[in-house]
Parts: sequence; C-alpha cells; structure tokens
Amino acid sequence: MSMFKDIPVEVGVIFEGERIRRNDMQVELGGPKVDQKFEIAKVKPMDQIEDGKVVIVGPDLKDLKEGGEYPLGILIEAAGAQLDPGLEGVIERRLHGYLNYIEGFMHLNQRYDIQIRLGKKSFQKGLNTFEIIGKVLYRLFKNELPIIEKLQITFITDISKIGSLYTDALASYEARDAKARGLKDNEVPEFYGCVLCQSFAPSHVCVITPQRYSNCGAISWHDGKASASIDPKGPIFAIPRGDVINEEKGEFSGVNEAAKKRSMGEVTKVWLYTAFDHPHTSCGCFEAVTFYIPEVDGFGIVHRTFKGVTVNGLPFSTLADSTAGGRQIDGFHGMSLEYMRSSKFFAADGGWNRVVWVPKEVKEKVKDFIPKDIIGKIATEDDAKGIDDLKTFLKEKNHPIVAKWTTEEAPATEAETEATPVMTASTLPISAGGFKIILTDAKIYASKVVIKKDESKTEKR
Amino acid sequence: MTAKNLHIKIDEMKTNSGLIKNLELSIGKVVNENYNEPMGPTPMPSVTTLRDWDLTLLNKYKPFYMPDCDLCCLCTFGKCDLTAGKRGACGLDIAAQSSRIVALACSIGAACHSAHSRHLVHHLIEKYGRRYPLDVGGLNIKVEAPITRLVTGIKPETLGDLDDVLAYVEEQITQILAAAHTGQEANALDFESKAFHVGMCDHIGMEVGDIAQISVFNYPKADPEAPLVKLGIGSVDRTKPVIMCIGHNVVPSVGIIDYAKEQKVDESLEIVGLCCTAHDMTRYYTRGRIVGPISWELRFIRAGLADVVVLDEQCIRTDVADEAAKVNAPVIAASEKNCVGFKNRTNDPTDAIVDDLVSGKVLGVLILDPDKVGEVAVRVAMKVAPMRKRKNVLPTVEEVIAAAKTCTQCKQCQRNCPQDYAVPAALKDAAAGDLSKLTDLYEYCIGCGRCEQACPQKIVIHSLIVKAGEKAMYCEDNLCRSGRGAVSDVEIRSVGGPIVLGEIPGIVALVGCSNYPKGGKDVYDIAREFASRRYIVALSGCSAMAAGSYRNSEGKTIYEEFPGGFEAGGVLNVGSCVANSHIAGAAIKVANIFAKRNLRGNYEEIADYIHNRLGAVGLAWGAYSQKAAAIGAGFWRLGVPVIVGPHGSKYRRMLLGRKDVPENWNVIDARTGETVNVGPSPEHLFNVAETKEECIVQIAKLVIRPNDTWKGRAGKLSHYIDLHKRYMGVMPDDIHLYIRTPADIPITMKDEIQKILEEHNWKETTIPDPTLLPRMVRKMKE
Ligand code: SF4
Ligand code: SF4
Ligand code: SF4
Ligand code: SF4
Repeated sequence: MSMFKDIPVEVGVIFEGERIRRNDMQVELGGPKVDQKFEIAKVKPMDQIEDGKVVIVGPDLKDLKEGGEYPLGILIEAAGAQLDPGLEGVIERRLHGYLNYIEGFMHLNQRYDIQIRLGKKSFQKGLNTFEIIGKVLYRLFKNELPIIEKLQITFITDISKIGSLYTDALASYEARDAKARGLKDNEVPEFYGCVLCQSFAPSHVCVITPQRYSNCGAISWHDGKASASIDPKGPIFAIPRGDVINEEKGEFSGVNEAAKKRSMGEVTKVWLYTAFDHPHTSCGCFEAVTFYIPEVDGFGIVHRTFKGVTVNGLPFSTLADSTAGGRQIDGFHGMSLEYMRSSKFFAADGGWNRVVWVPKEVKEKVKDFIPKDIIGKIATEDDAKGIDDLKTFLKEKNHPIVAKWTTEEAPATEAETEATPVMTASTLPISAGGFKIILTDAKIYASKVVIKKDESKTEKR
Repeated sequence: MTAKNLHIKIDEMKTNSGLIKNLELSIGKVVNENYNEPMGPTPMPSVTTLRDWDLTLLNKYKPFYMPDCDLCCLCTFGKCDLTAGKRGACGLDIAAQSSRIVALACSIGAACHSAHSRHLVHHLIEKYGRRYPLDVGGLNIKVEAPITRLVTGIKPETLGDLDDVLAYVEEQITQILAAAHTGQEANALDFESKAFHVGMCDHIGMEVGDIAQISVFNYPKADPEAPLVKLGIGSVDRTKPVIMCIGHNVVPSVGIIDYAKEQKVDESLEIVGLCCTAHDMTRYYTRGRIVGPISWELRFIRAGLADVVVLDEQCIRTDVADEAAKVNAPVIAASEKNCVGFKNRTNDPTDAIVDDLVSGKVLGVLILDPDKVGEVAVRVAMKVAPMRKRKNVLPTVEEVIAAAKTCTQCKQCQRNCPQDYAVPAALKDAAAGDLSKLTDLYEYCIGCGRCEQACPQKIVIHSLIVKAGEKAMYCEDNLCRSGRGAVSDVEIRSVGGPIVLGEIPGIVALVGCSNYPKGGKDVYDIAREFASRRYIVALSGCSAMAAGSYRNSEGKTIYEEFPGGFEAGGVLNVGSCVANSHIAGAAIKVANIFAKRNLRGNYEEIADYIHNRLGAVGLAWGAYSQKAAAIGAGFWRLGVPVIVGPHGSKYRRMLLGRKDVPENWNVIDARTGETVNVGPSPEHLFNVAETKEECIVQIAKLVIRPNDTWKGRAGKLSHYIDLHKRYMGVMPDDIHLYIRTPADIPITMKDEIQKILEEHNWKETTIPDPTLLPRMVRKMKE
C-alpha cells in the first residue's frame, strides 16, 4: 500500500477485528493494571502547532520491557480554519479505528480507559517506535478529515509527566460533556440530516440536533457537523434550521423542507419533541421504542435487547414493527438511548412525567437524567406486568399522569380493537334456505352482526 | 366440498330470526384473523407469474452452458447427438437440453425436500393434531414463515395450515416436471425460469418442514446460544451399543431417542447420526452425536462402529445394507422412499422382529412406524452389541501392505477418482511399508468408493485409506453448535446500523454437501477467514459439520471461537438442509423490518430489494445433490449470488454477468426514475470457483451491492483488495468499476486507487435507490 510504503507493518481496515492475546503481546499500554492513561484531542490555534511533528515524552516502545504494562497518554493537537473545539470528540474517537488499522496493534475503549497492545510479531517487524504510530495517525487524519490543516501528535509514557496531563484530560472530558449536553437546539444555526439508512429504508431521514441524537445512537450533532463539513454532498448533510414554527413541539421550517425533499414528499412535517401527530420517522435500527399506552395516557419504553413482553403484552419485535420503515406513526417513536438523556426528551408531551414504564436495565442506564421526583414513580417489569398492575402502581406512587386521569375522566379510548369472535360454539347448527349445516368448533368473525330482537335494535361493535 | 376447506361467505342473509351481513365462516382452517397485511400482486404464483422477473435476471446473468454430456437419451427417439449445434429428434438443442436437466434436477431436489416435509407434517398432524401451534422463536420473531408468506400469501399458525402451503408446492413441482416431457418447453431461458420457479417452491418446502419440526420437537428457537454438541467419530463412546441413523428425516430418530429415554437406557447407548438427520437429532437431544457428512458412511460402518443402522431418507448410500451385512450390523429401513428391498414388518409383533434381527435370520427390515423403529432399534442394539464384538472389516496394517503389493499401478483408480487423488502413488509407498501418503488421503477422501469399483485387482482401497487414517479418525472429537433455526427479528434490527456504517461487510452462507475437492478444511478456512473479518457467517448441513471439525491454535472449534448470533463475526449453524430456508428467510425479513415492505404475495418487489441491497452470498463448496441445485435456484430467483466448488460445473451451466458490457449494469434510481450505471454489483448469479483462494476472493467481491453506503462500500473494497492481493498476489483489475464517489475509496489505499482511477478515466456517479422494476420509481408527493 503505497500510502504506508515506509511503515514496516501493514495498515488497513481489515485489521480492525484483530485481537492480540497476552501471550503474543510485546507490551500493554494503559489497560486495567495501569492507573493513568488517556487519549485526548485538542483544537489549537494555527500558530501553536507544528504540522506533522511527533513528540515522544518518556521511554519509547523499544525501551519498554517485553510483557510489561505501562502508562500512556496520547495527545492529538489539531488546527484548522474551520475547526472548533466542538469537534474534539469527533477527532478523538477516530483514534480507535485508526490505531486498530495497524497490523499487530490493538486498541480498546476510549478516553481515560484505553487499553492498547502491541503484538510481538509486529514489534519484530520493526514497529518499535511511537514515531511510526504517529506517522500513520497523521496520514489517516489528514486524509480523512481535510478540515484539519495542521496536526501534531504527542505520546507520553514518562511517569513523572503523565500525572498532571491526566488530570487535565479528565477535566477536559468533563467540560466537553457538560458543554455538549448544555448545547441547545435554538443556539445552533444548523442541524444535520442522515440518510445512510436509506440504503435499506428508502424514505427514512434522521434529523440530528444537539438535543436529539440519531436513532441508531451512533451519530451525534458534532459527528454530523464533522461529516457534513468533510463531504457536504454525502449522506450526512447540513440542514439549515430555518424558522421556528412551533417551539414547543420542535417544528422548524428547515427540517420540514429537508424531510420533504429527502423522503420524496412522504414526510412533510416533523415535530422533534413529541411522539404524537408528526413524530420523527423511525428506520429499523433504533435502539429503543417509545409506545403510547392509551389506558393510562402515558409512554412505555422498550429497548432492543429486552426479553419478554412489555406492560402492554407486546414484545419489542412487535412494537418495533409498528413503527419501523421510515414512517411517522402517531404514538410510536424509534429512538436512541442517548435521546433519553436530553432535556428535550418528548418535551412537548411532558417529558419524563409522561413516562410510565421502562425496563429496569434502561432505567439504570439513564437514571441520572430522570428527574429525582419522578424516578421512583416509573414502573419497571418488576413493578407491573400488565396494564391493571400498572394502573395500581401509578396510583399508589401518585405518578403525575394520575392527576390527568381525574381531570379528563377516563384515559383516551382504545384504538380499534382487533377482531374477537362474536360467537364461539362447540357445535352450532345453522339452518337456512331449507338445508341445515352443523358446525363443530366454530368461531364466527363478522365485521358487523345485527341481531333483531322484537322491534328494538342492538348494535355491537 | 371437504370439511377441511369449508368456507362460507354471506354478504347478506335475512331469515326470520336474524339478519347477517358480511359473514365469513371458515372451519378447520385459519381465517388469519391477525394477518391484516394487504395481499400483494402475486400470491401463489403459477409457473409464469414471475417469468418477467426471471427474464430480467437471466438477461443480466446469461446462462453459460457447459454440457457435461451432449447426448440425450430421455425418450426412445434417442440417443440423440446434440453436439455442434445439432438438434435431437424432437427438435431440442443442447442449450434447452442442458437447462431442461437443470430444471429436472431442481424439481427432484424440490420434490425431495417437500416430500420430506409432507411426511413430517402428516406424521405430526396425526400425532399432535392439526391445531398444534407453530412457534419458531417466541416473542423474538414476528414473521414466522417469511418465504411462505412471501410466495403464497398464507400466514401459517398451526400444523394444519402447512397442509395448504404444501399443496401449492406440490402442484408447482408437478407442473415443472410436466414441462420437461419430450415435446414440451422449447426454450432454454424458459427452462431456466422454470428451474427458478421450482427452486422458489423448494424453499417453501424446506421452510414448512423446519418450522413444523422446530415447533413440535422444541428445537432451539432462533437461539444464538444453542448448545454445543459432540461431533466426530472420536466423540462416540465405543464401549456402548451404537445406533447409527443415516439420512435427513428425524422422525425415526425421535422414535429411538424417546424409547431409549422412556426405558432409561439412553445413557447406556450411543445414538449417532450421519448427514442432516444428525443435525436434527441433536436439535432434539443434545446427547446425540454428529458423526459427519455422507462421506463418512463407509468409514464408520467398515470400522464396525455401528451395531444397528437405521435409514430414513435422502443421501444414503444405496449399498449400505451390503456394507452393514459385512460387519453383521442389522439394518432398519424406516422410510417409504427407501425400502432397500426389505420385507415390510410394520405390523408384525416387535418381539418377532427383534428376534429375527438379533439372530441374523434377516439382515434388515422395513418398519414404517417410527415408534416401532425406536423400540426395535434400541432392543436390537442392546442385544447385538455384546455378541457382535465389533466386527471390523478394516484390514490390519500388515494386510494393508500386503494388499498394496498386489497393485499393478494401472492407475484405473486415480482415473475414476472424482478428485483425481494419487492412489497408485500412495499404494506404491504403502507396499514399501510407508503409509503416510495413504494417511494423507484419509483427510481428503470423500468415501465414494469409485476407486475400489475400478480396481482390476479388487483392492479395497477405501478401507486401506481408512485403516491408514484410523488414528486420526478416533481423534475426531470436536464440537458443532446445534442448529439454531431462524434468525430473530431483533438480531436483524441490530445489524442494520453496523451494515450501513460499514462495520459488517457482508453475509456469507456456507451451505450444502461434502463433495469437496480437497477435504472439509477448506470450508473451515473460508468460514474462519470471513468471521475474523467481521462478516456474518451462516452455515448449514454438511458444511456446518465440516466447519466444526477443526480447531484453532488455542484448541477451540469455530463455534467456540466466534459467537453464534447473526452479528458481526458471528458463526451460526441454522441446522439441517431444510433449515437453509432460514437463510433466505432472514434476507426476506430485512426488507420487511427496515423498509416495511409488505411480504404477502409480493415476491418480485422483495427479490428486487434483496438483489440490489443485501450483501449476501451463498457458497456450496461441496454441492453434489439435486437438492443443492434446488436450494441454489431458490436463491437465484431472490437475486442472491451462489458460488459452487469445482464439482459444481457438473450442474451444467453458470449464470454469469459480463463486466465488459456496461449497459448490463444499469439500474433505475427509484428516487428520480433515472438510469444509473452501478457497475457489476453483484457480478455473477451463479459461478464455479476452482480453488479455495479464488472462492474467497469471489465472495468478497460478490457482497458488493448498488445501494452500499460509502462507508459500506469502502469496507467491502478493503477486504476485496486485501484478499485479492493476499491470494492472487496482485491488485484486482476492476476496482475502478466499484468506486462511485471518492468517499468509496478505502482511506488507507487512497493514493494507490486514485492513480488507478486516473488511468481508467473514471467519472463520479451517484448512489441510487436501486431497482430493476420501473414500477418502483417513486413520485415526489406534493
Ligand atoms: S439511524 Fe443512524 S445511520 Fe441511520 S439514518 Fe439515522 S443517523 Fe443515519
Ligand atoms: S427427448 Fe428429444 S433429444 Fe432427448 S432422446 Fe428424445 S428426441 Fe432425442
Ligand atoms: S473413495 Fe476416495 S480415493 Fe476412492 S475414488 Fe472416492 S474420493 Fe477417490
Ligand atoms: S486400480 Fe487397483 S491396481 Fe490399478 S493402480 Fe489403482 S489400486 Fe493399483
């Protein structure tokens, strides 16, 4: 591969799945036995970066004892006219893929949790200095992300230096997360659209905003921004937000236009913060489904790996089927787990106050984002197996939805019920037109049965 | 009017006592109350309903005939010489004759699966009733029978519902067989279309059989963690009586297992299976052993391991009875399709049958009642085992050497060996006391025995080979994951993201028989190559056994090394031959799950979806049977490419795309109605790979589809290029045909590929919403 001619080992996507076992490793960097390890990307002003420079602080790979575990910090510093600190996370997450492209180099986890192994074979082939790793990273970054104009890479193994950098890194992750979660939809000029899933669901468009993650959970607003700036004509593209049409429901003129265009007019109106009327479409690979439970006027949520049936008696596969395929289905919504961490999470419908049932695994995952006063009032599969249980539970805990029941009388009427037999009989003689038919084990279904009794009519639906 | 089909519809009926409107009555038959999916355009298609679709595919992938035989002797006008453009007495030319044989082979295959399923369904209905509910995966599966729904428009819910489905299949097979009569169908492409049709029906036949047996016998249900079961001759405890079941229909084996359990003797017996019966037996009973594929029949019997041999149906050597007689092992034939000339003892008292077999008064019996088979087999095995003292017809090492010395080096054996193995050279060494070459042959030999038949010296060559490989044989103690059945909806949903994001490059299905050019290791190597690269690898039948027969450097079998789910790097055994239907089923479900396309009676649209979008390839490396031909044909009609190993050329034709004809690769962009050239993706519909290396490279290329996202395409190309360089030593020469936009270029190969693109005067195109059906073009809604 000519791009890596001077690299002693191969570099390619095909090494991504490669695993290096302990017996085959030259050294481990980071990992569970090492306290201080990190990788971080920083966006810097142009003049503070020397393009292409690789700095090694502390012992290099060839100086580390075979079989040992060592601390490691990787610092990626990038500069570019269009780069802003919001893209640091995007740059940083590429490290995982890139490092794994290197033959005999395994990278696991991210941020302060990294674990890297260098295989003996690759070490023997000459992969014995961070200089080479730096070169590979430099070329990949510059090739794939042309918005990076200058790039400098530092590897830190020196125990005396890594401590303070590690503390800095932790603080940066914290600040970055707080900022990302604090970013509001109405503070940005652009959202991003993704049509990657049109490859299988031709009318689906994801609208990705700071407060609404993609359905698959794989693409954040920042990721969208990075992709759109690299390849504006690609499947991930900018959506100018346009006018706010309905602030509460989350309707924006730019989103409507983009949805219409990309769905060939199938979808003309999208309300981002509600599961009703014009909810965001669902493709097929969403991580969870929100479903409206008319009997209690609240939402249930079920995630993809939930085994068994939800509180309304239906399993994930059935609920998912009701919403998938790039359609807008009133009261159903496919979404990512990350969306549950957003302050706009079904904001128009009452947010968490409208949620009545979630599997405990999901509850555990997002518990820090559920308001304290409601968390105990949302049932899990341990609290309610059916709608009656659920009603009792909600009443007992005084879930806010209960107050709505009393003001509006009975909860919303049920949707059209499925056909139930109007007549079941083990033997059923029918006589008509001069002959007699006897039916055994018959069930009779009818779209309408009218039974005449004297003069008064009774209709049963 | 039979009770089964009583169906009354009354739009309006007035009587003295009531008024009835729109009343529908169905008795003993499902009304499909929960099946509100609208009916598509082609429920229960007749022979010609989908002909246009077939011709669309056949024009894109033109048949390339490689007649294995250019004579026809089907009627008494013949033999007719069809060489050099000559026509037979009936006017038929070699192209139509070849495709007629394809259609016939597919019909035989389809008949085989469907008759197997028919027997299963009859038997199970008799035992458990028509209303026994079907359940293939509980809550995790919404579409229980994707092929059946797609083709027939029926949603089967009970065993009884399967009756109607099979009736459709049976009628179609009859129609296609009729078309093969002298003086019927005249056109080669029409015969091809008929082969596709009967292949499609074959998939329904398989699906029916498997969902029936999964439901009733409570097999693993779409379970990625289906139990690991023992595989290999070495896994059989030779100190216990051994009952060996050969074939594909599990019913007699279930009779044996149930009886043994009932009598509490199952722990003191070994119940082992060969071929697909083995798979299905272990799906029912995890103590069952999978001995191996059809090619292990002779070695197992000649080594004297079987105390009783039970035959059901399909792929059973027709000389098993003679071979068993040589080792004094009684034989029970248990299928109407294979009576072996034995007396029908179904209605005789069990004691009498047992006595006759134990005393050796008769060599074998025909018993058509599976429960009786169970009792007889178990009782006979327990009695015979201690008496037989494991009669072994394998020669001693001295006898091997002595036999080898009688060899005249005439080479008839090698000439007749389908694999051209160097038997004479091995015997030359053996005569000098060196058995190493014979031992090597053990690994590759498919146990067909043709060498022996050819040898003028009457040397029992196969037995010599087995003797030389005896040590290795008794070390064959490996693991196979018991057949998991269908792929669950949730698993399919979970891979949607990774596929569009390029993390899963494709799906490879390794299916079919064991006519391997050089042993089963190739299957293992191919499966492992792709699983390591995070493809989804599905296996079935003999291929699933071959894959489980080897271990990695850590001593793990492929089923221990990789997860059993439909996921990146998953290695899943769906089960026996009839379980192949779940592979097609999974493809069909993708369209339903992601695009919400209706399945019911909507074949053409779904096939178009699969053909243009789903990066799946089937490989039948050792395909030999007519059933394998039928399975292939079912995939062709869905537009899924199939590769066969070198012996596959004997199927008489390939369906090859022409990458040098650009206009063959136009699709319609459903978004705009415009024609877009997408390059040869996939390049072929049916082709032969001569070597393992060629095959691996082909697979990597054939998963490419017009709808690939750029991330997906870049990933696929990375593997294709890497494998091509690794196994062919050079960069492939067609990369420029697969790059649509610069983003498709794998980032680690940018400069290299850019240079190639410049050389080829490459131009950027778009990624369409691809279809071959003009009616799928969507209009912008206003
Ligand atoms: S689910 Fe993810 S990949 Fe699919 S369209 Fe949405 S953002 Fe894109
Ligand atoms: S079927 Fe036709 S080609 Fe074949 S033997 Fe008869 S006349 Fe000849
Ligand atoms: S038994 Fe083995 S060696 Fe003999 S002809 Fe068959 S494959 Fe060749
Ligand atoms: S056919 Fe028999 S005699 Fe001839 S080479 Fe083969 S083993 Fe020897």
